[in-house]
Amino acid sequence: MISTAARWGFNVPPMGSAEMNEWVRVASVDEVVEGEAFASERKGEAIALYREGDDIYAIGDVCPHETVRLSEGWLENGLIECPLHQSCFEIRTGKVIEGGAAYEDVACYEVKVEGGSVYVGEGRRP
Amino acid sequence: MPQSKQDKNIERSWPKEGVIRVPAWIYSDPDIYARELETFHYGDTWNYVGLDCEIEPGGYKRSWVGERPVLVTRTEDGEIHVMENRCAHRGAMLCWKNSGKAKDITCPYHHWAYNLGGDLMGLPFLRGAGGKGGMPRDFDKSKHGLTKLRVARRGGSIWATYSDDVPPLDDYLGPEILERLDRLVSRRPLRLVGYSRQIVDSNWKLYWENSRDPYHATLMHPFLSTFGILRTDGDYDSVPLQEGRHEYTFSRYNPELRNSTSEASRQIKSIRSDLEMRDKEVVNSVVDEFQDGMMGAFQVFPTILVQQYFNCLVIRHIILKGPGKHELTWTYFGYADDDEQVRELRLKQSNLVGPAGFVSLEDSEMLALMQPVVESRPDAEQVIEMGGHGTEAQSTMMTENLIRAFYDFYRREMGL
Repeated sequence: MISTAARWGFNVPPMGSAEMNEWVRVASVDEVVEGEAFASERKGEAIALYREGDDIYAIGDVCPHETVRLSEGWLENGLIECPLHQSCFEIRTGKVIEGGAAYEDVACYEVKVEGGSVYVGEGRRP
Repeated sequence: MPQSKQDKNIERSWPKEGVIRVPAWIYSDPDIYARELETFHYGDTWNYVGLDCEIEPGGYKRSWVGERPVLVTRTEDGEIHVMENRCAHRGAMLCWKNSGKAKDITCPYHHWAYNLGGDLMGLPFLRGAGGKGGMPRDFDKSKHGLTKLRVARRGGSIWATYSDDVPPLDDYLGPEILERLDRLVSRRPLRLVGYSRQIVDSNWKLYWENSRDPYHATLMHPFLSTFGILRTDGDYDSVPLQEGRHEYTFSRYNPELRNSTSEASRQIKSIRSDLEMRDKEVVNSVVDEFQDGMMGAFQVFPTILVQQYFNCLVIRHIILKGPGKHELTWTYFGYADDDEQVRELRLKQSNLVGPAGFVSLEDSEMLALMQPVVESRPDAEQVIEMGGHGTEAQSTMMTENLIRAFYDFYRREMGL
């Protein structure tokens, strides 16, 4: 079965792959502000960036339940809520909150900030 | 629905002779039909909805209660749920496939998503889009799940009700039905053999009467007497149950009957010695799997007739589609531990029944032609006097006691 993310046209990040970590620039630091999701892309994978104080997090942005970008949903208490069926994911880890329509996590990406830019590495499931 | 002038002039009261007469208007009157649905299917009854072997964990099947589509689901933990196949939002039919596996049930109209227990998990744009629209803040998802029915199981059979007052399933069925139901669905895990479906263009009660009518069996179904499956001179019990609500008929299968032609059988024109079956396995290769030599059928009001013809086990499910139409779903089943020989036999013997079955083909044809005639004379009365005027059990095929017993029950429930 083809995953929803692949059907949507995004590459699916490899699960726990040990490939060499390649850092890709996905935003400037100013673009990522507290209380809002910043939608971006890493080599064809839809991702979203979130800020909490000085920390920036990056997680997969396609809901595993039904194809839609999570960043269009509702951000509250460290959770991004899917705009379609209210599945919630931790913005720090990509972990799904059980009991909703989605039952799979989204990928979590390593983040580093250098020279005013945000870079993310390979995605991994938590 | 407007009634014809002739209809309006008919007095809607039962003939003074009682249950030996049935007024023809009950087969077409839309008000009567609506009252039947409310009183029976949506009232204090248990409705058969399926067998557990039809649904795997994490799966579903469609069924019907009265005219209403329902979903029978089985969650991963094995629990069975029955809910209306009707979105709580705007009433769209949620599921269009007869059966399958699913993680959740999503409405095709606005994508409201429910879990297999029928709870609303989410709906698109609850909080609007781009800060606009969306549901009011006090919208409570927990109050907008699917309409759930109460569920009961007996052996591999699944039942549902809208009623809070109906007695527990075992009491509703009664000891005689329980014994016969358990004989077929409770001793060994079930296996689905297959389905037939047909639309019958008649009022549902004509079919309900038909399977309570042993009188017609050897006359209209020549296969039965021609090939010695059922003879008018064999033992045959016609037993009304639960004040006429249910019934069973039972005959002892006698292989000798196929070889003898008694006086009573000789009188039936349809026994023809010039007809021969090329493949006799349908009736000859019988495994006496219940070790009791019995063949029989029973009705559980208001939805099913359960039948055992040799090794063919089948449930006829009557699904209402309006005053002049119903659907008949035939579910053939066997047992998970059936060996190869019995699997073959069940398939072969399933030719006996169904829309084109050797011994049931004639019923729906007869009733479809009968319906417009009955509708054309709503003021007429049916004569139900075979076997006398009573409603007690009888040991003969030449009786209409089961039809009288049914209308005795029907009149009480409908207040007619």
